[in-house]
Amino acid sequence: MSESAVGAAGKTLEVQRASNGATAAGGEIRKKRWYSLNPAFREDRFFLVLSVFIGIYSGLAVVCFRLAIEWTRIGLLGPAPKPHDWRLLAAPGLVSLLVALLVIHVFPEVRGSGVNQTKAALYIFNGYIPFRTAVGKFITAALAIGAGQSLGPEDPSLQIGAGLASALGRRMDFSREKLRLLAPIGAAAGLAAAFNAPISAVLFVIEEVIGRWSAGILGSVVLSAISSVVVVRWFLGAQPLFRIPAVTFLRPTELIAYAVLGIAGGVAAVIFAKAIGYLRPRLRALPRWSQYFLPSLAGLCVGLIGYLGAPQVMGAGYQYMDQAMHDQFTWKLLAIFAGLKIVATTLSFVSGTPGGMFAPTLFVGAMLGGAVGGVERLFNPHLTGTTATYALVGMGVLFAGFLRAPMTSVFMVLEVSGNYSIIVPVIVANAIAYVISRSLQPMPIFDVLTRQDGLDLPSMEEQREESILRVEDAMQPAPVPVLGSEEYIEEANQRIQQAAENVFLVRCIPTGWTTITRDLLKRLAGEGKGELSIGSALPPNRLPYLHPDSPLEMALRYVYQTPLVPVVSRADLRRLEGVISSDAVLNKYRMVSRDDEI
Amino acid sequence: MATGIALKPIASKPPLVIAGLSLLAVLGFFFVGRLTTRFRLQEQALGRRMYEEGLAEQRAGRPDRAIEDLRSALTYDHDQYRYQLSLARALRDTGHTAESETYLLTLWEQSPQDAAVNLALGRLAAREGQLDKTLQYYHNAIYGVWASNPDTNRLNAWFELIEILLRQNARPQAQAELISLSAELPKRADLELRVANLFAQAQDYEHALGAYQRVLQLDRGNVAALTGAGEAAFAVGRYRSADRYLQSAARGNPQDEHAAEMLRTSNLVLEADPFGPRIYGAERSRRLRAAFEAAGERLKACAVSEGIDLTTGHRLPSDVESSDLPSLNGRWVQLKRKVDRLSQASSDETQDEIMSLVFDIEQQTAQQCGPPSGMDQALLILSQNPNGVER
Repeated sequence: MSESAVGAAGKTLEVQRASNGATAAGGEIRKKRWYSLNPAFREDRFFLVLSVFIGIYSGLAVVCFRLAIEWTRIGLLGPAPKPHDWRLLAAPGLVSLLVALLVIHVFPEVRGSGVNQTKAALYIFNGYIPFRTAVGKFITAALAIGAGQSLGPEDPSLQIGAGLASALGRRMDFSREKLRLLAPIGAAAGLAAAFNAPISAVLFVIEEVIGRWSAGILGSVVLSAISSVVVVRWFLGAQPLFRIPAVTFLRPTELIAYAVLGIAGGVAAVIFAKAIGYLRPRLRALPRWSQYFLPSLAGLCVGLIGYLGAPQVMGAGYQYMDQAMHDQFTWKLLAIFAGLKIVATTLSFVSGTPGGMFAPTLFVGAMLGGAVGGVERLFNPHLTGTTATYALVGMGVLFAGFLRAPMTSVFMVLEVSGNYSIIVPVIVANAIAYVISRSLQPMPIFDVLTRQDGLDLPSMEEQREESILRVEDAMQPAPVPVLGSEEYIEEANQRIQQAAENVFLVRCIPTGWTTITRDLLKRLAGEGKGELSIGSALPPNRLPYLHPDSPLEMALRYVYQTPLVPVVSRADLRRLEGVISSDAVLNKYRMVSRDDEI
Repeated sequence: MATGIALKPIASKPPLVIAGLSLLAVLGFFFVGRLTTRFRLQEQALGRRMYEEGLAEQRAGRPDRAIEDLRSALTYDHDQYRYQLSLARALRDTGHTAESETYLLTLWEQSPQDAAVNLALGRLAAREGQLDKTLQYYHNAIYGVWASNPDTNRLNAWFELIEILLRQNARPQAQAELISLSAELPKRADLELRVANLFAQAQDYEHALGAYQRVLQLDRGNVAALTGAGEAAFAVGRYRSADRYLQSAARGNPQDEHAAEMLRTSNLVLEADPFGPRIYGAERSRRLRAAFEAAGERLKACAVSEGIDLTTGHRLPSDVESSDLPSLNGRWVQLKRKVDRLSQASSDETQDEIMSLVFDIEQQTAQQCGPPSGMDQALLILSQNPNGVER
């Protein structure tokens, strides 16, 4: 959230007012919530309906965004940019100056890609994204990308969708929890529309923005993503992002070739991420006046690359990825494009120009994949994979290695290619790239950017890999003896004589558990109730029980109600596996935090 | 809040909210629809412009720049059939066969019956030497749907396929195609002549002769057909017919040296053949004797030129190799007496024995001393097709 974070932090009061406005619009409105008056329009149902509208509006916005980029590109760079055209030098430099002015003076929160801003909206600002940010992102990103800055339209689309959803949600009287979730719903819609790939968008938002699978949010995210894709296909056609030629994977031994691609992609992803992570804070530390010129300077460098012979690296570059898949470039050229794109995108992004990283990542991946495939075919001409196959796998590899969204990376390739025959190479190569990237660059790029912006958003990768504590980790053996509810009090009293504990579990008939204390048993015997069964002397309350695999957090709900919570087998509720107490739970958490510190 | 959007909740009447959102969506669809239409029109215009520029570059002999322009045309109008086909052709012609095939296959998947696409794929397969695919795509093209001039285009594709097959030495397939084609050919002398020439190239002289004869039925004085018919008749051993056709051809085109030479050879064959029609008695004996003497002379001349001693069979000056020529010479010497005594009453066995030796000598000497000329050439031709001469 970066610069926008600074801006957003500066507007904390405003944000708080805004978020409070939705919820604190008065106790009266709360009392008369329409969905409580009319059960047909309960909040949950209306939320789903609204998700569809968010998808539709996001789809419409993204169509306009894509048209705006195209018109800008055609107007500024010409219909078919070719090297040595003066426009390639002039357009990115001059337009980026305008973009810098807009970003600094009119839309200060639109810098960067938009993914972290959406996350910040979810975790910090109660789902609040100013509508002005969505508008500003639209204008500045369209200008920057259209003028040739090496950035993509997907992340801005994501933020535009989130901004629209946030603005729309604030006009409804939703609970704070629902308001918070609107941003990711809009984000999924925006990303799905930009990619024309709903599954990948849903996965990315779940994997990278929300960080958890929840039935409550999943339905809305899917609905909005699907609606936005339908809208985009309505206007722009149903064809996928790329015309994928026949892709093949015939021999399992060729997995070695894809593994090599995974290694190359992992290393490239680390170089890309480290370059951004190193340069960005240094450029941001420069004097304020320099911020006016940095985007322009970056644009000039990117334009120079285009002018001197590689206009392919300018803009999002989708048509060139398509051409790479159709064998238009030699492997040497592909390798050069991959390297130049990393340089160009790093410059564009660290200069603070609004724009996304998705398209450049795919571009680098496609070119690198094609190049590695070409080299491998030199050594082994019998490899059956085409350039398109390697380019596609390469896209997934960079996505997994750079953006660190492993699930999305696999599904994105499948969705974009419409071909499931390459799933094995994709998984193998992506996994290798992910592992290499993680070991050489422990913090994912989005987290690096977040920390640089002074925010502490939850790291989705850390969350994914966090070990979950379960009841079995803190469980203790049940205190003996375990009594039966049909036992006589006198008999039970004698059985507990040798035991050290003061609380004993009682197995009820037919099922269920309760506890009885030593004192109570003695008292009941003293009152002459020794001939009664324990069950008849106890109130009919049953204890809650847990299973060994239940999360330890769940135990916290019960351990303060009763001194012992029985832990029973899932297969036989009468079979006692152990017990858990508040002390045991706390001890376990203490041990874990001590280990973490070490 | 800094934006113009008020945050005051408006959702007090859900049906109204939904109606309002729907209305907004409809308006949005209308607005974006107009924008998209305008954008599409602009894209199509740009695509057309780039396409025209690409064609101009192609005409100017700058295929690489043409490809760039055609690619740009396609980025603006992805589904434009003409652009894809032109780009695929340009790519194919500049050696980018893999990419060309990709485009063509995409087109083919969209309309597998399209003859132009199949023809382009067929040419690509032919360029790559893939005979099965060549046949498959050309057949699709021949029986596919043509946008214009279907009859002419179909025939041209068929002829093109046959020429490719002949270039690739796939004679059986070419003959099969020619037989099918000739059955469907309209009655036009030029087409029949083309088929006949292709039959001749495929060394199917029987069918070639038939085709030339059909041409001559339509155009009696067609010199090319007469020459072709003469050559085909000659090749199948019909020297009398060959003679007749070649004489007519020579009258029509006296400058044709090849036809004149063939005419001379066919005359010699007819004159040398002792078993020709209406050759009896003394004339047959004369021809047998003449053939025998010519073969003997050829044998001796060959032995001298090769340095072979006909009595010992040793090659001079060293005796490293032996030859069949001496044994042939021995047979010739033995038979000489019979030939000297040859009369009208000589048995058929004697006549066959003489000609058998003559044929053996001509074949052996042709192998050892190269192709003969004149009378020996005629005898060699007779030896190769002893029963084929028209009786």
